[in-house]
Amino acid sequence: MSASTVEAKPAKITVNGLRKSFGSNEVLKGIDVEIGEGEVVCIIGPSGSGKSTLLRCLNKLEEISAGHVVVDGFDVTDPKVDINEVRRHVGMVFQHFNLFPHMSVAENIMLAPVELKKATKAEAREQALKLLDRVGLREKADARPASLSGGQKQRVAIARALAMSPGIMLFDEATSALDPEMVGEVLQVIRDLAAEGMTMVLVTHEMGFAKEIGDRVVFMADGVVCESGKPEDLFGNPQQERTKEFLSKVL
Amino acid sequence: MSKMTGGPRGWLKVVTAALFGFMLLLGPVSPAFAQQSDSGVAGKKFVIGTDTTFAPFEFRKNGELTGIDMDLIRAIAKSEGFEVEIRSLGFNAALQALTSNQVDGVIAGMSITDERKKVYDFSEPYFESGIQMAIAKGNTDIKGYEDLRGKTVVAKTGSEGETYAKSIAEQYGFTVKSLDQSATMYESVKAGSAVAVFDDYPVLAYGVAQNNGLKTVTEKVPGGSYGFAVNKGKNTALLGAFNDGLAKMKANGEYDKLLNTYLADPTAEVPSNFWDLLVKSFPALMKGLGNTLLVTGISFVVAMALGLLAGFMKISSNIVVRGIATTFVNIFRGTPLLLWAFMFYFGLPQLTGVEISIWVAGVLTLSLNSGAYIAEIVRGGIQSVDPGQLEASRSLGLGYGKSMQKVVVPQAFKMMTPSLINQLIIMLKDSSLLLAIGFGELLYQGQQIYAANFRVTETLIIVGLIYFVAIMALTKLANYADRKFNK
Ligand SMILES: Nc1ncnc2c1ncn2[C@@H]1O[C@H](COP(=O)(O)OP(=O)(O)OP(=O)(O)O)[C@@H](O)[C@H]1O
Ligand SMILES: [Mg+2]
Repeated sequence: MSASTVEAKPAKITVNGLRKSFGSNEVLKGIDVEIGEGEVVCIIGPSGSGKSTLLRCLNKLEEISAGHVVVDGFDVTDPKVDINEVRRHVGMVFQHFNLFPHMSVAENIMLAPVELKKATKAEAREQALKLLDRVGLREKADARPASLSGGQKQRVAIARALAMSPGIMLFDEATSALDPEMVGEVLQVIRDLAAEGMTMVLVTHEMGFAKEIGDRVVFMADGVVCESGKPEDLFGNPQQERTKEFLSKVL
Repeated sequence: MSKMTGGPRGWLKVVTAALFGFMLLLGPVSPAFAQQSDSGVAGKKFVIGTDTTFAPFEFRKNGELTGIDMDLIRAIAKSEGFEVEIRSLGFNAALQALTSNQVDGVIAGMSITDERKKVYDFSEPYFESGIQMAIAKGNTDIKGYEDLRGKTVVAKTGSEGETYAKSIAEQYGFTVKSLDQSATMYESVKAGSAVAVFDDYPVLAYGVAQNNGLKTVTEKVPGGSYGFAVNKGKNTALLGAFNDGLAKMKANGEYDKLLNTYLADPTAEVPSNFWDLLVKSFPALMKGLGNTLLVTGISFVVAMALGLLAGFMKISSNIVVRGIATTFVNIFRGTPLLLWAFMFYFGLPQLTGVEISIWVAGVLTLSLNSGAYIAEIVRGGIQSVDPGQLEASRSLGLGYGKSMQKVVVPQAFKMMTPSLINQLIIMLKDSSLLLAIGFGELLYQGQQIYAANFRVTETLIIVGLIYFVAIMALTKLANYADRKFNK
């Protein structure tokens, strides 16, 4: 669909004719997107345009009504595909963190590796401490999530999502629930991930950040991709009326 | 005499009637299944049903069933060479058990009436009873029926005492109030809410000799006779052996000796004060408490399993699974506990022909009832966990079951714990209802004690204190466990 498909990188995510309805309400009305290995794609758009729904279709947190979604070589719309296997390749970070309050910070991160028998408890803890190092929270390993600030919670959530060593990371408004002074620390972690070459899809309201970090920006409106392109093109020289209208409101 | 038509409790009659109506709808009552060999009794064992508390015919002394009926049936069994297993069920329950062949015979201070002769076969009468009036010990105003004018007397619901009192009420101008238990009647005479009680002569005679605070001022009015009953046409050998043994005892003087033990010279020690009562009744009450705790404990484990299963079924996406759980919950929340106690103990054996132990019936009753409530607690607990928790766990690649087990249920349990503790305490208190089928729990033991010694108030206070202490201890323990495991 977009100009970026000409890039040589192999496709990590391919979305074809994706449709999603809640009852009679069609929220996604035929989406086509291709995202290459190591690419960072930011999704922007007005509230209710279907950004979260698109993201949640990528790891099948939402049932897909029609079309195809291929992630890391798995067709997630194929009922024979083990969705749990696919999800191990895709980390997800939520707006409201969704940390497990009855576990310590380290236990939150160790849960998946231990339960999915990818590591012993000791190995998983060691790995958890390394991940916490990466997000700058090693000293909080044995704290309860409730004792952390919002920014710290989100950094732990990112560490948790990285625990299964996913090749793709999805972020749904990871900084929207944060106090402004904490946004920076979380963005820094995401920036580091981008620098390491992680394939990422970010739904965000931080236009500055999208411009800075995105290899590509996708503008969604009313359940379709309205316009997409390199950040400097989309922000500097939008082609569609809807895009111009939206940008004039948020910039 | 006592219990001409129905039982000591009005509601029992109503529930029983409803239960039997329900049975008729379901189909014909299945045929007999208890022991019914008619070829001699020597060496055989017979199950005999009796009342729980009908002193001096049956009552508990130091936890042991004793009384005229008990001594008589045991003596006859010994002389005729058979064994008896006594089941203290309550009067109505014993008769129902006889009808459903759960017991082979009933001896329960039961009058031989034409009504009863239609459904049971009776032995020769073993006791000639009668009706007598008693008044408070300190009452010097009443010397005969003439002094009752304008006053209220009490009699036992459905008893011959009631029939007799009513038959002379108009002539002497007094009002008859019907009560359900001897002990209650005596208390109301002592408390002054009635001036006199009309009751079976042996019961009164025994009570007076036990210092129950009453005295008799009129002669006994001769009444009917008591008999031992078997189901119509069944256990004829047992009936024959009873008659034979009774005749022998009457001939050799043992019979008179036995009656005198209870009526002329009562031997039961009467506790003189509260402390004495406490000490004497403590072993029996502790046994009752043990049964209460055990039946509650077992039932709670079963109820938790049922409640978890039904609770998860209620949040299933499958409409059939959900429907089954909802039906279960609605049935057991929408019907009284007591109905199920009767159903499992009396109804089910009649339908299936399989005898049910009182423990099984008790546990079924309590656990199905509580299971329904726990299912709702479980459903509510799980639904109160933020759906984002399940999503986060699923997004990590954990399956639904693992996510529930590791993430959702632990959080749900934390929220459920106070409600579960509450449910446990409700169950412990509800277990006292099982006394209606003769389950030997705490309150039942209390009833046994005051039926023998007439110290109703003090005994109930002791029982109440034991319940209170047990429940407080349980609450503290549960809250401690909650704090310890649900940090
Ligand atoms: N579980 C659901 N059931 C029914 N409707 C839903 C559900 N989830 C989302 N929707 C609807 O789908 C539409 C798109 O929602 P979505 O959350 O994808 O929008 P969004 O672009 O992420 O908006 P926002 O910027 O506010 O997060 C909305 O109209 C929303 O009401
Ligand atoms: Mg959204």
